Amino acid sequence: MLNRRTLLGAAAGTLAMPTLLGAQEANTLRITGWGGAWGEVMRSKHIPTFEKAHNCTVEVDTAFPFVPKLLASPRGRPVYDVLHTNSNEQWSVFEQGLVERRPDLKLVPNAAKTYPYATSDSIVGIVIFTSAIGLAWRKDRIQAAPASWKDFWKPEYAGKRASYVIPANSLGQALFMMAGKVYGKGFKDLDASFKAMEAVKPVRLFDFTGGAENAILAGELDIAVLHDTAAYRNQDKVPVEFAAPSEGVMALEQVLSVTTGTPKKALAHEWINFMLSQEVQRSMAETVWYSPVRSDLTLAEKYRGKLLTTPEQVATLVQMPWQWYNENKDRIDDRVNRIFRG
Amino acid sequence: MAAVTAHGAPTLPRSSAWLLLTPALAMFILFFAVPFLTMATMSVLSGNPMVVPNPRFTTRHFERILDDVYYLETLWITVRLGLSTTIVSLLIGYPLALWLARARSRTTRTLLMMAVLAPMMMGLVVRTYAWLAMYSNRGVINGSLAWLGLTDEPIQFLGSEAAVVVALAHIYVPFMILTLSGVIARIDTRLEEAARGLGASSAAAFLQVTLPLSMPGILAGSLLVFALAISAYVTPIVIGNYNIQTLPMLVYQQISSSFNLGFAAALGIVLLIVALLLVGAYNRVMARAPGAA
Repeated sequence: MLNRRTLLGAAAGTLAMPTLLGAQEANTLRITGWGGAWGEVMRSKHIPTFEKAHNCTVEVDTAFPFVPKLLASPRGRPVYDVLHTNSNEQWSVFEQGLVERRPDLKLVPNAAKTYPYATSDSIVGIVIFTSAIGLAWRKDRIQAAPASWKDFWKPEYAGKRASYVIPANSLGQALFMMAGKVYGKGFKDLDASFKAMEAVKPVRLFDFTGGAENAILAGELDIAVLHDTAAYRNQDKVPVEFAAPSEGVMALEQVLSVTTGTPKKALAHEWINFMLSQEVQRSMAETVWYSPVRSDLTLAEKYRGKLLTTPEQVATLVQMPWQWYNENKDRIDDRVNRIFRG
Repeated sequence: MAAVTAHGAPTLPRSSAWLLLTPALAMFILFFAVPFLTMATMSVLSGNPMVVPNPRFTTRHFERILDDVYYLETLWITVRLGLSTTIVSLLIGYPLALWLARARSRTTRTLLMMAVLAPMMMGLVVRTYAWLAMYSNRGVINGSLAWLGLTDEPIQFLGSEAAVVVALAHIYVPFMILTLSGVIARIDTRLEEAARGLGASSAAAFLQVTLPLSMPGILAGSLLVFALAISAYVTPIVIGNYNIQTLPMLVYQQISSSFNLGFAAALGIVLLIVALLLVGAYNRVMARAPGAA
């Protein structure tokens, strides 16, 4: 039976609900992130640590694509507080005014410990990890290790090589630019890149990196444009090797930026600082095989010579001109769509 | 109190009828009319109103589609894929639906129904990846051919239109069977028996009695499969290996990586208009077919 005390309690609870929800909302950091091995380590280890330290909740959206959702959210009330994507997308959203050019580095003390490429002019936001894009190849199928990007175009790999749907995938876009450098005058040599794309057929194209990773692990294909992370973390299971071509490995940066107008700016900066902490940098490097951006980390022997941790190794990373690419994206997409159409 | 019509059937007062209609109407407005109007508006704006403060009216997205033969060719491939999938699904689905509808044994009907429904229990992505495993270089088909010594090098199934149509038909054929079997089951078998009694062969009885009477099912099943096939994304991109490019793929590209919502909306509107025209024409033709209601 409903008595007066219960009724008053229920009414008070109902009236307090918006305030409670508002308080919870104010304490919730909304970010984007990856699933898979990355997501598992983040969920089980690092997110709970951050939540405890800052008395907050971290909500991660792993349902790609993120940018259209950010675009659809009202100005001044962005759906995310911190945007985590690869560098190419960061340029697009920055040009639309949806993220800040750079986090306030005074609020990110760990940024002082990073290699300069983490905050180079070619980056919007700040790099927290990087992978090297090179060639993953099956040791049981290929006799001589590929040494140059040109090896990817060898006729014997016709139909047995994997790349990506260029309009949709940043590795495909990076290969497109690298083809301009290898076969033409530089990354921006569109004609050379288009010719190279014609020449690379037949090729299996994937929209997600995971598709190419699975195909090469299953032995379905012999060689793939892939990041070192995917190759190294599977070497104990299959005979797959990673080759860093002589022309350089392309940087696949994991970038964080603060969204324009987020009301949780301070917490957003805390999160970025946390991701650059020694603990997270070491843990993600040693469990998920991402190269840390901190210059003061010494990893275990197993990772040396593979992950890019020394200044000499970091110098082999090539940062791609994503701002230029995005300005020309429509033109490039139009043409490559035609090239790869059967 | 309910009124009574001239035929004696009770009718509801107008206010009650509207009240009953409200939930369906609200759903229709919320989940169809509003998204459609938003898409239509986006297709004629110069920018995203969320980002650009004062977007202008423009027809440039539609001009881009009409001026470039690539988009028209892609539209044709999309429609062709839809038509091929519908025809293949109908050819496979009709005999099975007939068998399902006419099976005398309850066990046979149950087993057939389970066979039809089982693939639908798995997700679309799972079924598409199953086809990827069939078609791939070291997949079931190429592996069997190599094991039998019939091929030295794998046959490249992935990227062919036929491979996409077969995979799509496998995914959508249950929709055709379920729609058709309901209609066929309601056809009075005595009509066929009468035709045979009047001297028609089994084939003639089927062609002149059963097939025309199942036209409503053919129409509904075909429209359903066609609509699903022209809007398919996962199967064409995974099995088509980007050789087969369809409008839904371009729409997704524009939204997810080019962030050009206006052009994506224009592509969606064009696909919708073409689909409605085809559906209208098909409806007209089928309505004139003998046996159609």
